Amino acid sequence: MRWFDLSESDRTQTRELSRIADDVSERIIEAFYAHLLSDQTAARHFRGADHIARVKQGQSRYFRELISADVDDSYIADRRRIGSIHERTGVTPTLYIGSYAYYLNKLALEVQQQMPEAPEKAFTLILSLFKIAHFDMALALETYVDAREETIKARERELSELPTPVLQLRPGLLLIPVVGTLDSYRARTLTVQLLEGIKEHRARAVVLDITGVAAVDSAVANHLIQSMAAARLMGAHSVLTGLSAEVAQSLVKVGVTGEALNTAGDLQRGIQLAENLLKG
Amino acid sequence: MAVTVPILRQGSVLIASIQEDLCDSDILNLQSRILEDVIKCRAKAVIIDVSAIGVLDSFGTKTLTEIAYSVKMRGAETVIVGIQPDVALSMVLLGLTLRDIPTALDLDHGLALIGGS
Amino acid sequence: MQAQEPVDSQIQAIRRDADVISARQMGRRLAEDMGFGRPDQALIATAISELARNIVVYAGYGEIEVSVVRQGHRQGLRIVARDRGPGIADLGSALADGYSTGNSLGLGLPGTRRIVDDFDIRSTPGEGVEVTAVKWRRQ
Repeated sequence: MRWFDLSESDRTQTRELSRIADDVSERIIEAFYAHLLSDQTAARHFRGADHIARVKQGQSRYFRELISADVDDSYIADRRRIGSIHERTGVTPTLYIGSYAYYLNKLALEVQQQMPEAPEKAFTLILSLFKIAHFDMALALETYVDAREETIKARERELSELPTPVLQLRPGLLLIPVVGTLDSYRARTLTVQLLEGIKEHRARAVVLDITGVAAVDSAVANHLIQSMAAARLMGAHSVLTGLSAEVAQSLVKVGVTGEALNTAGDLQRGIQLAENLLKG
Repeated sequence: MAVTVPILRQGSVLIASIQEDLCDSDILNLQSRILEDVIKCRAKAVIIDVSAIGVLDSFGTKTLTEIAYSVKMRGAETVIVGIQPDVALSMVLLGLTLRDIPTALDLDHGLALIGGS
Repeated sequence: MQAQEPVDSQIQAIRRDADVISARQMGRRLAEDMGFGRPDQALIATAISELARNIVVYAGYGEIEVSVVRQGHRQGLRIVARDRGPGIADLGSALADGYSTGNSLGLGLPGTRRIVDDFDIRSTPGEGVEVTAVKWRRQ
């Protein structure tokens, strides 16, 4: 709040606007929706007249609170809630700030017109209103962005849960091509798939190809090493192929040396190496 | 209720098939019997089949390692076979890797490994 | 640990090494009932095995308690290992890899800590040890 230079006096000031605001809010909102619904993209957000009426009501309450509600914890919580609703329902920042700007402009004009005897006073009142409005928008947008990040993370998680195929190249030799993001969760799932695959196919060698993996941090590198160590306990050799320079570095960072690990530059050579290991 | 693990002899190979989870004293008992049999039978290799075991913790792993090392001192090889996927994962996460001890998927693979060496 | 109080719990007294097996079977059964996958069941059984063995080796007598705990939407299996043995004078060393005063690899406690999600150990020299470990179920 300090960042927005908000103080109790701003609130007192804007409350003086409530008479004018109450008077004109409805009109501004009506005009705004007429303007909004003329735009096809925006109109798509609404499911019929009922919905529009409900949203208008909400908006009118929103603006009433903007003018006169105490800026306390419950106000802040409410503004945050609105941000997350917007994220969920697809109300973009452009739409949100656009409608806000529309309202503020119209209201400022009204205030100016209705207080011709005290233009300076009107200006101060409007400044206070703008301060609170900006604070308000910041809250809603911050929450919007947070909610957005959550959604994106959830999607990434879905992507990372894509099953990894375990292919049998020939009896005793498996190929596991790993594609996509490899986070710790998926790396662990991969380990289990690898080990189950060894048992199911009675494999004696496994080629783990990570050419299609975007990035490997040290935690994931650790998982890979653990997978290969566990495969070894089950009696299977494993070969890691498709290491980018970055991945090779991650592996070295977690203390892996080339000798402890069978690696090959590309898939072709990886399979060759696995064949040789099978021959013993 | 002590569990005695059967140790079978097949040519110069001894096969110990553990049938159920063993407590520490059963494992120690197995350890001493394997060593006695290796000497008695002049065995060239020992296969320990752990496929029925659901948990191989630090003590179990340490004892298996000791068995393998002492068998080696008698000039014979030890192969641990049948470590299950979930057991293998738990062992690795615990930091137990049976370093330098040959492993195989099951008894067949274990016998093949010995035959080839 | 901020986990709520357990709903129901089972206890296995630990007096000799055969009890170690009973304790881990008890834990595995509960893990299975709770819907943990096979790998996690094995991890839970292994953790119990390590903790129960510590009781046999260092304290001689104690107990393993397993219970279901909830935290928000999460459900977890909690293992409590308690004994009235001599306690651990130097917790820091006991949790470091490779440290052992008894007949083990010295991977017992640090290893157990690695395979569970939450781990807490309290010990007063002369009054025993209480280890609490929780494995959370993946949503």
